[in-house]
Amino acid sequence: MKAKPFLIAAPAALALALAGCGGSTGNSTDGSSTAPKDCSSADVFCIGLVTDTGSVDDKSFNQAAWEGVKAMEGDGVQTKYIETKDAKDYAANLKQFTDQKYDAIVTVGFLMTEATQTAAKANPTTKFIGVDQFQEATVENVTGLVFPEANAGYAAGYLAGLLTKTNKIGVVLGQEIPPTQNYAKGYELGSKAANPKISVAKVYHPAGDNAFSDSPWGAGEAKKMLAQGADIIFGAGGGTGNGALGEVAKTSGAGTSLYCIGVDLDQWDTVPEAHPCLVTSAEKKLTDGTTDLLKQVKDGSIKGGNFNGKTGLAAFHDFDSKLPAEVKTKVADVVKGIEDGTIKVG
Amino acid sequence: MPDMEWLSRNKIWVGTAALVLIGAYAFYAVNSNIAVSMFSYAWFLAVPLVLGAMVGVIGERSGVVNIGIEGQMLVGAFAGFFAAAATQSIVVGVIVGALSGIAMGAFLAFSTVVGQLDQIIAGVVINIVATGITSFYFESGKTIPRGLPNFDVPLLSKIPLIGPVFFSDGPIALFALIIVFVLHFLLFKTRWGLRTRAVGEYPSAADTAGINVIALRLFNVTAAGILAGLAGTYLSMEATSTFERGMSSGRGFLALAILIFGAWRPMRALAAALFFGFMQSLASQLQASDVVNIPQQFINLLPYVLTLVVLAAAAGRVRAPGAVGQPFVKGD
Repeated sequence: MKAKPFLIAAPAALALALAGCGGSTGNSTDGSSTAPKDCSSADVFCIGLVTDTGSVDDKSFNQAAWEGVKAMEGDGVQTKYIETKDAKDYAANLKQFTDQKYDAIVTVGFLMTEATQTAAKANPTTKFIGVDQFQEATVENVTGLVFPEANAGYAAGYLAGLLTKTNKIGVVLGQEIPPTQNYAKGYELGSKAANPKISVAKVYHPAGDNAFSDSPWGAGEAKKMLAQGADIIFGAGGGTGNGALGEVAKTSGAGTSLYCIGVDLDQWDTVPEAHPCLVTSAEKKLTDGTTDLLKQVKDGSIKGGNFNGKTGLAAFHDFDSKLPAEVKTKVADVVKGIEDGTIKVG
Repeated sequence: MPDMEWLSRNKIWVGTAALVLIGAYAFYAVNSNIAVSMFSYAWFLAVPLVLGAMVGVIGERSGVVNIGIEGQMLVGAFAGFFAAAATQSIVVGVIVGALSGIAMGAFLAFSTVVGQLDQIIAGVVINIVATGITSFYFESGKTIPRGLPNFDVPLLSKIPLIGPVFFSDGPIALFALIIVFVLHFLLFKTRWGLRTRAVGEYPSAADTAGINVIALRLFNVTAAGILAGLAGTYLSMEATSTFERGMSSGRGFLALAILIFGAWRPMRALAAALFFGFMQSLASQLQASDVVNIPQQFINLLPYVLTLVVLAAAAGRVRAPGAVGQPFVKGD
């Protein structure tokens, strides 16, 4: 058998080149100021963002945090993101920013908690903001932007409890980690508070690399729940949850007898295919929280530990006129009650 | 009588199938709603696995290992979705998805059969390239007019249980079901099938008998790409109407396991895929209904553990085609 080494080498080289493209980095300056500024200078405020596995336009966490960073843009501010393709690369991606002496580094997602703390200890002068990262022990230069997901889930569940006709609702979640667990817990408690007869079907994605990007799985789970009589589905888990929303949207009865509820962001803007059923979204005000903390970094008032961001329900959009006024009032009362602390979740 | 002979040769399989059917209908009699939804979900998850396994069957039966099914699927999902989004036509999307599968199949075929590149390396290259290009050229916010619609097949969809599970789905799911039987017929009852199996078992003997080994392998591996492309299109346009990066989620690799589980035979691979789908459905049902208090991580192991058990029991009875993985050089 004759060997033809060039045939091995050529595709392999091509593969490497293209894989390099896949791990793309992006610059938010959009060509207006192409030359990277010197981040070690005191005049320049450099903000770097490292995404969790997923893209900066994932219609979820990464995107919302990146929008919070972009809100800081202006004179003397440089912003840049790095998309993580593999959880093994967290540290390497963080190092790209710390090597260039960025002033503030935003890391997105619970799974990056440890990598962020490690990088922070090695770079004590850089401020780190860990979006969705609960800090068990305080590291002086790390601030965890955390959201009481249970509160957002509670409001969503309360609305679902008022809307359901079948007394069966469902929730399709990503990997089982504290944020998704809290959403599920709040959702269950809220729905039971509105409607004690309700039963909640709850599924987590079998933990793995794709727990937040497996939209066909989410769609299948939603399909099964609907077939078993659920009439409201809460999709909480990135692309996986979005798959569930899309499935409800294309089932007959969407928007009249079947509804879906999005998560994390106002998914009306981010998942257009869910419009037929999307009543609202259980929202973490991630963008505002990121911007608030970055402002604190800039004026030097930031403290290590945890910072509680706001949660709530997104706008009803097309369903604003379709929902009974009584339902809207009750839900608004609950959201207010959670905010001022008269309703305690969990 | 030939039929009796066939029955006695396949008595284990026929018996198992009969038992499964009786079990399924017993379940249906107890709770038709849950039975239908669980079996529908099993088939919903099994469709891309079946199509992927068929790609593997065609390739390996002709002597070419294809571990690039995952990448072919991902590119199919990507190309189909974005072609549909750009033209606002789902028909164009499905065609482009299938064609992209052929293109990937052609790469595998030419590099391994003509260029004699190691088949495993070629497959790995496909997977890496697929992840790279679908991430790089991904654009968010695109939508397609709607996903491929579900429809009821006349008469067949009225059969209790089987009707709503297999005959009320979208066009690609129906195609996946049909292609299994078509491929079984082609592989075991036609001249093409005999030649394909010969080329996969003992290519030099096939060559001596006057079969063009190279041409047949090229054709088979390239054409099988259609099925991988359609499996991808199923993910992005039938099961959902969105593309997510990495949405093939290891289904192409699972298809390879199912290919082995199914002993390189189309109908057994279908059974294996359904079994796996049903195990996943069972895991999900146990988790959702909360009847038993077992951590979900443990429940989710169930499909894999049970598959392993069945695979171990079946091991030794299955045998790969003789020449799988070996390039053919005339006169060697």
